[in-house]
Amino acid sequence: MKTKMRLAAVGAAAVLTLAACATPPDENPPAADPTDSATETETSEPEAPAVEGFKPCIVSDAGGFDDKSFNQLSYEGLVKAANQLGVEWGEVQSNSETDFKNNLESLVATDCTLITSVGFALSAATVESALANPDLDYVLVDDAADNDFDGEKDAPNIKPLLYDTAQAAFLAGYLAAGYSETGKVGTFGGMPFPTVTIFMDGFKQGVEHFNEVKGAKVQVIGFEGGDQGSFTGGFEANQDARNVADGIIDQGVDVILPVGGPIYQSALDSITDSGRDVALIGVDADFFVTDPNTADFVLTSILKQMDVSVYDAVRGAAEGTFDPEAYIGTLENGGVGIAPLHNFEDKVDPELMAEVEQLKADIISGAVTVTSYLNQ
Amino acid sequence: MSATAPVVRDESPVSESLRHVTVTSKKFPTVFTFMTVVLGLIMLLAPREGETKFRFAADTDFFAIPSVAVPAMPLAWVCLAILVVLTVLSWVLFLQERRTPWALGVLFGLAFLAGFLGWGGAGSVSDFPVVRLVSSSVLLAVPILFGALGGAIGERAGVINIAIEGQLLGSAFVAAVVGSITKNPWAGLLAALLAGALVALVLGIFTITYRVNQVIVGVVLNVLVLGLTTFLFTQVLVPNTSQLNQTVRFPAIRIPVLSEIPIIGPALFRQSIIVYLMYLAVPLVWFALYRTRWGLRLRAVGEHPLAADTVGIKVERVRYRAVLVAGAIVGFGGAYYTLVAVSQFNRNMTAGAGFIALAAVIFGKWDPVRAAMAALLFGFASALEGAMSVVGSPVPSQFMLMLPYVVTLFAVAGLVGRSRAPAASGVAYVKE
Repeated sequence: MKTKMRLAAVGAAAVLTLAACATPPDENPPAADPTDSATETETSEPEAPAVEGFKPCIVSDAGGFDDKSFNQLSYEGLVKAANQLGVEWGEVQSNSETDFKNNLESLVATDCTLITSVGFALSAATVESALANPDLDYVLVDDAADNDFDGEKDAPNIKPLLYDTAQAAFLAGYLAAGYSETGKVGTFGGMPFPTVTIFMDGFKQGVEHFNEVKGAKVQVIGFEGGDQGSFTGGFEANQDARNVADGIIDQGVDVILPVGGPIYQSALDSITDSGRDVALIGVDADFFVTDPNTADFVLTSILKQMDVSVYDAVRGAAEGTFDPEAYIGTLENGGVGIAPLHNFEDKVDPELMAEVEQLKADIISGAVTVTSYLNQ
Repeated sequence: MSATAPVVRDESPVSESLRHVTVTSKKFPTVFTFMTVVLGLIMLLAPREGETKFRFAADTDFFAIPSVAVPAMPLAWVCLAILVVLTVLSWVLFLQERRTPWALGVLFGLAFLAGFLGWGGAGSVSDFPVVRLVSSSVLLAVPILFGALGGAIGERAGVINIAIEGQLLGSAFVAAVVGSITKNPWAGLLAALLAGALVALVLGIFTITYRVNQVIVGVVLNVLVLGLTTFLFTQVLVPNTSQLNQTVRFPAIRIPVLSEIPIIGPALFRQSIIVYLMYLAVPLVWFALYRTRWGLRLRAVGEHPLAADTVGIKVERVRYRAVLVAGAIVGFGGAYYTLVAVSQFNRNMTAGAGFIALAAVIFGKWDPVRAAMAALLFGFASALEGAMSVVGSPVPSQFMLMLPYVVTLFAVAGLVGRSRAPAASGVAYVKE
């Protein structure tokens, strides 16, 4: 009797675990996310001809397609392209690292011809899948697909989409330094990953540039350079993130840049509870648009136009001209940028904005250099 | 790690006098030596310059203690000297076959901390927020502490509660939804308690009535709750954030007089109601377990259910009650996430706190007060990480992020020593 019970429990556990982990790929799901911009474009633009049997697919990392961040943006780009092309698409969300391989395999098995993997965490699994399926096209968001660090991507049929967000963060840093009245601005990240620290690094460089130009002494709290700084240890908005945000606001900053998925929500509550006037800088998408709660707090957002670049990559592949060359988003090609000021329009000196615009032109022309792991 | 040396002193025949056995442990001197060497090495290999500023006041203090700037390296050297003295003292006590008193351990810990912080904050533009360190230690410990209390009650009654994580996450979710709909944090809190108890009820039905392996049911429940909340979050909460996932949080309440005490006042007595409930919960649970008939029966059922049954205690009923109460207590911890810390639920927001709570139960030897201490230790280690990174310490971020887990591991493995679980913990009772 007892053994039977135990066996039943093991069985139940296995079934539940599997059910929770490996979500089967949805076949052409109904507009899954009401916040996405995909649905509204369904009828616009004439249908472009797609290659026979073209099927774009997308796999998320653990953040899911509703993360108001890179998964969601990439997803929106892909859905928009698929809708315009009038083709079915496949999608699957990963809940943990162990899902990546299975999810990629299940996409391959459902006749996908273009597979978009979102996030550097999927890099190794994507390379493996790409090498095993040389006929398929792969798009890898946010990673160079170079896991042996030889400077070359590891599979010829992967198109890495990279974003030199340091350039945009540089502008945000300059703007923040100019906006700050306390002379202190802060930043913190989820985990010390390159895709996170690139924001913090660019931000710090922007503040330092401001100090240099203006002879000011604005301090950056929470980032020391390299991968030294304040990190919450995860990408969940909880007490850990609250604690880090509280600690930074405690130091007297009046601009804060939280980098990493939903952790900005913790920062938002920290700002409210502190009772002080602290401005928030968003990352990836324009927070003013994606999260109305932030409207009164968000100074600007550092944009990473993943929706655009994924869209372009999908359209290219649909027309049979998939270009596996790595794409690097910069200020110049519009792959990165900063969002409009919205509610902060009248709180920021127009002269400062003019300087930021000039700075943008200088970065594009190369007069001002911003360093990041992508251009070293 | 622990070496116990039974020493027979008395040579006289056993029949004439009692055998005298002294048990001493090398644990304290060993740990002391290790930590002293670590601090010494850090200071020798990476000496730093400048002053460390310690800030003792909160922003809104009635009378503020001024910040103190201390020359960093001299402070660190003084602390190291104290550590060396304490280490030697501990070895001397060991050789004399005497125990190192706990007070010495506490003193050692404080001196180590002062030295380490002095070294870490040297030359920083930011000041080291002492008040923040104390308050974050408590706040980070809240969910873990409630989880540990619930875990301790469950195990005392003979039901291993691996599902603490699931109870925390489930109640955080329900608190967010109910709190958002009603715009009333009290309603959210009540719902969170029910949600915690509901997960506990499922655990109870499977483990007590159907006698399925308790560990397996717990693990499955964790996965189930994670899957369920993530699904509902994605499908229901995200599209309706303003109606379903935007809570009104409990405000901070200042306790008169107490909140004006320097350092601990602003840190401990300007908190939300859930934190005050936590202060009360620890002695209450202790009292209930050790000083009431309910507690006595509960412990009897956890140690020797057959004996309890023989004297007429209804084992299954006692266990059900214990598990449900434990689930509700864990529910407080879950409510803390969405009604105090952050005003929104997000996927997997507990991020493993329930498992740390489980470790705290064992670290605390299944005792509510000690488990609470263990939770605070973990909270402190996490808070230290945050405080160190703000002052820009030279310790690698990755290492600091690891610190709370290292502390827990060492605490459970090393310092606890022999801990004995309630005898019938994990064993379903089959009435004969």
